[in-house]
Amino acid sequence: MESCTVDLKALAWHNKSLVEGCPAVSHISRSHSSCSADTCRHDPSTVYTQLSYLDSPRSNSSNGFATRRKGGELSTRHWWLVGLVFLVAATAGVGVGVPLAFRGDPSQSLDTRLEFAKKILAEFPLIDGHNDLPWNIRSFIHNQLEKLKLNESLKTVEPWSVSNWSHTDIPRLLEGRVGGQFWVAYTPCAAQYQNAVQLTLEQIDLIKRVIKKYNQYLELVTNSQDIKTVFKKGKIASLIAIEGGHGISNSFGSLRMMYELGVRYLTLTHACNTPWATSSVIERQSPDAKKTENFGLTDFGKKVVQEMNRLGMMVDLSHVSTQTMRDTLATTQAPIIFSHSSSRALCDNPRNVPDEILHEVKKNRGIVMVSFYADHVSCTEPANVTHVARHISHIREVAGIDHVGIGADFDGINKTPDGLEDVSKYPFLLAELLRDPTWTVEDIRKLIGENIIRVFSEVERVRDDLLAKGVEPLEEEIHPEYLRGKTNCTYIFD
Amino acid sequence: MLSVGGEAAVVVMWVLTAARARCEASPLPVRVSPQATHQERLQAAHHLLAHSPLIDGHNDLAWNVRKFLHNKLHFFNLSSDLTQEKPWMNSPFSHTDLPRLKQGQVAAQFWSVYVPCEAQYLNTVQLLLEQIDVVKRLISASPGDTTLVHSSAGIIEEFERGRVASLMGVEGGHGLASSMGVMRALYDLGVRYVTLTHKCHTPWAECSEPGSHPPNTRGLTPYGKEMIWEMNRVGMLVDLSHASSKTARDVLSTSRAPVIFSHSATRALCHIDRNLPDDILSSLALNGGLVMVSFYTDFISCSETATIQDVVGHINQVRTMAGVDHVGIGAGFDGIN
Repeated sequence: MESCTVDLKALAWHNKSLVEGCPAVSHISRSHSSCSADTCRHDPSTVYTQLSYLDSPRSNSSNGFATRRKGGELSTRHWWLVGLVFLVAATAGVGVGVPLAFRGDPSQSLDTRLEFAKKILAEFPLIDGHNDLPWNIRSFIHNQLEKLKLNESLKTVEPWSVSNWSHTDIPRLLEGRVGGQFWVAYTPCAAQYQNAVQLTLEQIDLIKRVIKKYNQYLELVTNSQDIKTVFKKGKIASLIAIEGGHGISNSFGSLRMMYELGVRYLTLTHACNTPWATSSVIERQSPDAKKTENFGLTDFGKKVVQEMNRLGMMVDLSHVSTQTMRDTLATTQAPIIFSHSSSRALCDNPRNVPDEILHEVKKNRGIVMVSFYADHVSCTEPANVTHVARHISHIREVAGIDHVGIGADFDGINKTPDGLEDVSKYPFLLAELLRDPTWTVEDIRKLIGENIIRVFSEVERVRDDLLAKGVEPLEEEIHPEYLRGKTNCTYIFD
Repeated sequence: MLSVGGEAAVVVMWVLTAARARCEASPLPVRVSPQATHQERLQAAHHLLAHSPLIDGHNDLAWNVRKFLHNKLHFFNLSSDLTQEKPWMNSPFSHTDLPRLKQGQVAAQFWSVYVPCEAQYLNTVQLLLEQIDVVKRLISASPGDTTLVHSSAGIIEEFERGRVASLMGVEGGHGLASSMGVMRALYDLGVRYVTLTHKCHTPWAECSEPGSHPPNTRGLTPYGKEMIWEMNRVGMLVDLSHASSKTARDVLSTSRAPVIFSHSATRALCHIDRNLPDDILSSLALNGGLVMVSFYTDFISCSETATIQDVVGHINQVRTMAGVDHVGIGAGFDGIN
């Protein structure tokens, strides 16, 4: 009998291949572009100060950010004033809020902007939409947490230290002032029609064990209000997400139980179609696919979206095809998210979000959380922090400031932009935005966390409304014809 | 001293916890005379059940819901009288609905979350999730009558509120796909026991049936022992019904916590591998665990018919060999015909 258990050893990266250079990226473990020699030689210790700006800070021409803001500009003097106020307040032992109307200023030094960024991050939580550390824990140490010291730097611990896919540990999360994180329970597409549900449960269990083991720093959160509560305690609000609809194996019962286990978003597809939703991979195979009506959500897929609305689970459209994006936006009663996607206008890749969809996201009141994967951030030249800032600004321009966020995809990518090499670098992204006078502190507050909290709470409100209306749980089974004969690992009832 | 078994309808009730006695009129009967009429003994039974919760260890209604309705509850109601509804009324496997649970004064029920051995190595984890989902949906559709509880304290609370306390037990360790992560996730979902095997060996535990393939080892493998310790650590009850005697002995010498047999009977009165030999019963006294006696005729009388007296015989046998603190009731309704 053909095995119904996907072979994880084939997916894991062995130390040997890491040391030799390129991680053994198999087609079934990652869908990103294959590892290039440049990537493997990339020095992860490159620091922000070594990079050169694409544009001079004092240039009269556009510095690449969309300029749309009207209103007065604050002069340099105000930065000094703010600095003085903080100094006095600190001396007096008084907490002072960061003024929300404060704007970016390109004349400020990086150090000043960085310090200011850190003050913003101390007051308002930065909530990142997507981190794949749990998959690295599976790949590298088979979920055996006794072999992991996440509270110490992994930069000198193998195999983490020799992997381009590793960007996360607690010291760096703290340095990066991360206030909240969606941790991803990912299972590879190879597990579809095999033991995907089992693997998904194991990853959810792993995330909970990690949170518990490091509960001095991390705390599990399953509703929007607790994010700020945990943040104020000085811990990282930790949420659980599933990447890949194949993880629920076409089963509403499984979907509901995943919600009960604490899962708060599901990425409808990873790099493979499910029987009910198409993935962006089809657009690489056939460019026309993005236009064809057949490639999107089936009726069953629409029901999955409806059931997620009823449960209060956020629908994540990263990785899905353009048609699936359209179908979902037309079906959903709640705001949706893109947990780790960037802008297609700036880098034409099916993983990124086209402007047409950004307009719909605005109407939907959803959010696009910008990914840091270098190949999605810059299609041409080597990526850096300025490219990421441009994506953020573009999405703000088209969808609006209420609909943009950050979802770096750390630990799920092997190429990061210069200046954003790991989870310690978020302040540098804010410092970059603070070069732009069209960005206020209020804008940044929304970008980094307020927007995703709002989306999450609106999804909860839709859930409550549907409950009050007495909408019942869905019970359909998927039609066997959609499984295309891949049922040898499925128990068939008489 | 009392004579064991045999004598018709001798019902002896001991007051368990006087401290919890509610402020109602009559005290619990300490002993009912064997000369009392059936009506008097029944009266005493009702009175006792009103004051002390009856907790049944194993009911397979959820599997019938799967088989008969494919888990579609849209037209199903646990509060209905299923003796008047098809296909329930025509099935010898159907014994349960809320009206009858109330009539039986069942205070708490472990609902079996079952996955068949034919599904082993297939999508068992998904099937388990679907069964847990249907149990939870059944419970939430009858909020005034039953609530899902997760602890012993929860049972008492619901009893005092006059509601049936519902719990869940996974039947068939093969459903875990040999994964401790899955076991922990099931615990998180509210499952409180795992029946280590059904009628098939798992890669780490032997069942009481011979099966088409021999087990990896007689009893528990070393991994099986780790699984027991992990179940102990999280607080998941180990259920040894269906497991082989060797597995039961291995578990009894490994487990750090009391174990249960959620629906089993005694080999002394019906000599089959599925039933428990006296030495295992005696071990329970040390382990602190519990045999919850099944009502299945094949286990009780080794035949297709049995009487209440036969069931009482098994209860008394467990009490004699293990002690009165180590016997309970696990009828196995809806899983037997």
